[in-house]
Amino acid sequence: MSATLTRRTLLAGSGAAGLTALLSACSGGSGGEAGQIQFWNNFSDATQVKYFTDHIAQAYPGPGTVTVSNKSSNTIDRLIQTALAAGSGPDVIVTPGPSTGVTEYTKAGYLLDLEPYAKKYGWDTVFAKWALDASRIGGKLMTLPTSYESMVYYVNPATLSKLGLTAPTTLEEFEAFNAEAKAKGVIPIAAGNADWKGANEWHLVIALNHAAGPEAVYSALKGETKWTDPVFVDAISKLAGWFKKGWYGGGVQNYFTNNFPTVYKQLASGQAASMISGTWEFSNLGPYFGKAAGNSADWDWTTIPSLGSTTKNDVFDLAIGQSAGVNAHSKSVKDAASFLNFMTTDKKVLVDAVVEKDFQLPPIQVSAADFGSKADPRTVRLYTQLSAAKSIGYTTWTFFPQQTETYMINYFENVITDKLSVQDYLAGIQQKFDPELKAGKVPTAPAPTGVASS
Amino acid sequence: MHRRRSFGVRVRDRRVAGWLFMLPLIAVNVVVVLVPAASSVYYSFTDWSGIGGANFIGLQNYAQLLKDGEFLNGLWHNILWTIFFLIVPMAMGLFGAYALTRIRRFQLLFRVLYFIPYIVASVVNASIWRSILDPQSGIGALLHINPLGNPSLALWSVEFVNNWAWWGFLVVVFLAAMSGISPSLYEAAEMDGAGPVRQFFSITLPGIRPTFAFLGLMTIIWSFLAFDYVYVLTQGGPAGSTDLLSTVLYRDAFSNLQGGYASAIGVVMALISAIVVVGYLVLRRVRKWEI
Repeated sequence: MSATLTRRTLLAGSGAAGLTALLSACSGGSGGEAGQIQFWNNFSDATQVKYFTDHIAQAYPGPGTVTVSNKSSNTIDRLIQTALAAGSGPDVIVTPGPSTGVTEYTKAGYLLDLEPYAKKYGWDTVFAKWALDASRIGGKLMTLPTSYESMVYYVNPATLSKLGLTAPTTLEEFEAFNAEAKAKGVIPIAAGNADWKGANEWHLVIALNHAAGPEAVYSALKGETKWTDPVFVDAISKLAGWFKKGWYGGGVQNYFTNNFPTVYKQLASGQAASMISGTWEFSNLGPYFGKAAGNSADWDWTTIPSLGSTTKNDVFDLAIGQSAGVNAHSKSVKDAASFLNFMTTDKKVLVDAVVEKDFQLPPIQVSAADFGSKADPRTVRLYTQLSAAKSIGYTTWTFFPQQTETYMINYFENVITDKLSVQDYLAGIQQKFDPELKAGKVPTAPAPTGVASS
Repeated sequence: MHRRRSFGVRVRDRRVAGWLFMLPLIAVNVVVVLVPAASSVYYSFTDWSGIGGANFIGLQNYAQLLKDGEFLNGLWHNILWTIFFLIVPMAMGLFGAYALTRIRRFQLLFRVLYFIPYIVASVVNASIWRSILDPQSGIGALLHINPLGNPSLALWSVEFVNNWAWWGFLVVVFLAAMSGISPSLYEAAEMDGAGPVRQFFSITLPGIRPTFAFLGLMTIIWSFLAFDYVYVLTQGGPAGSTDLLSTVLYRDAFSNLQGGYASAIGVVMALISAIVVVGYLVLRRVRKWEI
């Protein structure tokens, strides 16, 4: 039998084939093949990708094998959202903390309830209680914290020595420090948000927890105190005033155009006397200090000064830098949960990653003895102090609901440019917060006097 | 027996064949344009977060738009943006093209030079200009201003950077249109004593009217779609001073997880473009304007 293919048949066939191929490409499958664990992450650089692949993904003993795919920090959340909506996506899903997207993922049924695995692997005894509580939605554990962090006060000891200053511990010292640094032609606090508008919230966290105090923030998060309370008006007014005095980044306008490399260079070169940022900067500062930068500069950190009349200077603002859950539609659910357990609880693997490549630890119990002699003493001091913290603060990206957080970031710029009063700003926060609190979108926060590691 | 097919049948076959050739393209357009567009319209009437299911909420999103300061601020900036791009680059493009018609040597070189910024990726252009405008090491330091950090200057600065990449494209298009005008018209005008300015307004501009009108139309449409330069240079800041509808939409969709509301903004943006296109068609077909 011979078959002839007419032009019409060929055209129709090719059209249908093209459409089929296109639709096939769009649909995909959920997760990878059984036994294959797809893991997407936004590593800070290529060396971290290689380290994670070689020392964590390949060191994972199974069941299942892990494939790592690095994504840009700016796009990873959109890529994951899109893939999940298409019924696909990685088997282990990362989010920028428990308050970002996790509620929506849970509602949509994208995330697996991890409670059975929490029992199986004994996570309640491994992780800090506050971190697991913040990761629960409706009483169910939906994600695990893969890294935690805090806000600290960075200094360049040589600059302080040259200026004859010491790191401040109280409000009076803080104001005197900044005024004196500025008078000597030095930027008091290196800061800028050109690369990331979210940097605004780092400073808001400082004002809320270290000027207003963690007790007030805790009360507001529970809905017992309004965000328009005078204690917050005073705290945000102070912060806005400091910005307008030109203490942050050398002036409000410069703050808007300083990018991160500029900020780090200012601290390293002595152009700036200090920097207020998160502990994630440990991995970012290296290239600007010492041998790597071809200079003799060094950096150190200390706790955020007390900026209120009743606040202490030993408050550690707790933050889950990243959360990870299991794709409910994964073909390798058990394997993915097993890998999630490995990458968040294997203490030796995790501590090695911190020492070797400045990864951040998840909120698990560690002591100085867990770090070898190669560890940077600043890192060891950080994690031992964090583990022992008696007084904690609340970061917006971990304990605040999403729309409230976005409003706080965007409209703070209106406050420091005199387009919005502090009172109206706080009223706007309250307006965003109320419906989110009612909808159960505020993550569970631990009491402010809770121990960070418990 | 071989039967000759009629002329009508052959014409019909050709038409069918033409449609069949178009079929893959139509299929692609249905999947990547029509379906997402229809989805956007549907989601604009829902409370969709961008993740998972959605509930129908009628016109609530559209009613909210009218009270939303961010949306209105973005819309106002889009209008300013459109006015700027209808005037500055169009004038520069016309002047540049007309000047190039007056020279013979190096014309190709100038065309290439003007066109290069247009073919460089917008992210690259914007990043370069961010360094150039830097208040500590760039032009900002020399002039003691902060073009991207000052809320009063930021929108104009972003427009300036976008225009830098854009106007060369207009030069090339206008130049191509001007080359279609008969040289004899200029010769006659010169003999009648018309100078370059008179020639430009009496011969050049009427001669390129369809191109001019088309680029004006596209400028309005593209102005309401502007996003990349703002996103890279200022992310809509400082203090919302460079927010456009597109950046507000992006923030609502991906930071606030209000996919339904962001869809409503997208539908409004599409409607604005549709009104412009309909206006253009009415002028052309109903009013018989030669544009």
